[in-house]
Amino acid sequence: MVEQRLEEWLEEGYVASFRTACLILGNRADAEEAVQDAFLRAWRFRNSLSGVPSIRPWLYRVVVNSCYSKLRSEIPHRDRRADDGPLAHLPDPTDRGADPELRAERSEVAETVLAALQRLPVSLRVPVVLRYYADLSERDIALAIGRRQGTVKSRLHEARRRLADDPALSALVGEAGDTLEEAGR
Amino acid sequence: MTMLDDGRLSALFAHAAAAFEVPPGGVAEIVERANAPVREQPADDGPDDAADESDDGGRTATGRVRRLVSTARRHPVRAVAACLVLVLVAAGAVGAAVRASAPSPVLTSGLPHAPASAPSAPTRTGTVPQKVAPQAPFGAEPNSSPATGGTPVTTPTAPPLPSGAVGQPAKIEQSGTLGLSVRRGALRTTMTQLNGLATAYGGFVASSQTQSGPGAGGAPSGSVTLQVPVANFDAALKGAQALGKTSSLTTRATDVTAQYVDLQSRISALEQSRQQYLTILAKATTVGDVLAVQAQLDSIQSQIEQLQGQLQVLDSETSYSTLAVTVTEGAPPPRPVPLPESGVVRAWHDSTDGFLAGVEGAIRIAGPLLFALLLLAAAVLGGRALWRRYQRHNL
Repeated sequence: MVEQRLEEWLEEGYVASFRTACLILGNRADAEEAVQDAFLRAWRFRNSLSGVPSIRPWLYRVVVNSCYSKLRSEIPHRDRRADDGPLAHLPDPTDRGADPELRAERSEVAETVLAALQRLPVSLRVPVVLRYYADLSERDIALAIGRRQGTVKSRLHEARRRLADDPALSALVGEAGDTLEEAGR
Repeated sequence: MTMLDDGRLSALFAHAAAAFEVPPGGVAEIVERANAPVREQPADDGPDDAADESDDGGRTATGRVRRLVSTARRHPVRAVAACLVLVLVAAGAVGAAVRASAPSPVLTSGLPHAPASAPSAPTRTGTVPQKVAPQAPFGAEPNSSPATGGTPVTTPTAPPLPSGAVGQPAKIEQSGTLGLSVRRGALRTTMTQLNGLATAYGGFVASSQTQSGPGAGGAPSGSVTLQVPVANFDAALKGAQALGKTSSLTTRATDVTAQYVDLQSRISALEQSRQQYLTILAKATTVGDVLAVQAQLDSIQSQIEQLQGQLQVLDSETSYSTLAVTVTEGAPPPRPVPLPESGVVRAWHDSTDGFLAGVEGAIRIAGPLLFALLLLAAAVLGGRALWRRYQRHNL
């Protein structure tokens, strides 16, 4: 039963997990490795899921820990390839049918958002990504990062304040608000 | 925060995330790797992961070894420190084992360091191995076969006195002490058998003592002193030896023939004097003469009776021999280490002793050093753990 639930979530949650890792790490290749390691580890230790009430925050915790591992031990000691920078693969090739002007505008928005996220410390970046991209509740975020719910709340507040104070992001929101709303829709 | 509310943040993040191309075969590759054998799976990243909190139990010993090697490669300093600690612990254990098994010389013989050739007239003693020295009759030449090991036994080495050399058979006092080791629980039975032994050989038990609890030697023990006729001493000794394992044996023979003959001569002379005084007493005519001769007779009679008492004691001592047997439960004490007899052997022993002393010194130093290293390792690991915790807290 647990294996079936896990397998279903792995199938369904791969895209969300991969993009969550992308937002945290800012690098597609690192995110791919981190998610792969996390999913393999989750599958290997699937027996420990029997006592877990909800699989989703548990799996996000595995993904986040894998991202932490990348950030802590591997990324600082590795020469980053010039062609595999944080914003390498930003243009979405699946979006070939969209208007080129709109595609360029979206790419600019994505770069700005990613740059603003990378300027946040990891302790704030992870909860804000989990909250506003992965759509986890504060309680689930607390489970995922192993902190108290109050800590998550204060970190989310601080992250929102810093993002609001980010001049590039503020300018982007002011200029491309309509585009964002359209893209959000 | 009016311009950057939750909805716009979600839209911004979704827009930025959508810019990343999803790997087309990502899920398939993960499924393929998950279904691969354990050895092809990547090693764990350490205890930080939530998934590491429990194990599925399906990993093989080879997987554990590979995981260990992988961990050692990632943390070479800690791996070297752990190896060093293991080596020091192993050295300490080996040193402790060597020290615990090192033999300590224990003297078991009554006269272990007495010179074998030192005579103590009129008693002569010598140390020969028991297994090659069958209990020879008193007065016989001791067996001079080379030692083949065994419990040190002191046996008489006095040459036989020629019977009638002084006009009568030799008078010999004979005594012995025997140390017996019996199995646990057999002390009472052995003591009973020793008592029966004295009776069987026409003797008696002079004294007996049993200590049931652990004595000074750490085991229950008992002692019994047997008085047996001299003629049965050898048989009684063999019978006693058959009751257990001989740990020590000392026999002693004292030639008291000269003393015996001297006493007899003095008694004979005094008796002749008494006879002469009796003749003089018969011829005395005055009271004064009678009293004077009577006083001399009383003195002579007293000396004769005293000497006859000494003679009877000697008779008794030479008629019955004394065998003191000590019985101890448990294994016999180890044999004394024989001293090297030649210079080369002594030099070899000195060399090995020096080497062992060096090893002991190294082990002695290794203890505090190991303790210091353990403290250092604990401090390093603790500090590292705190640092990692601090780092994680700030993530």
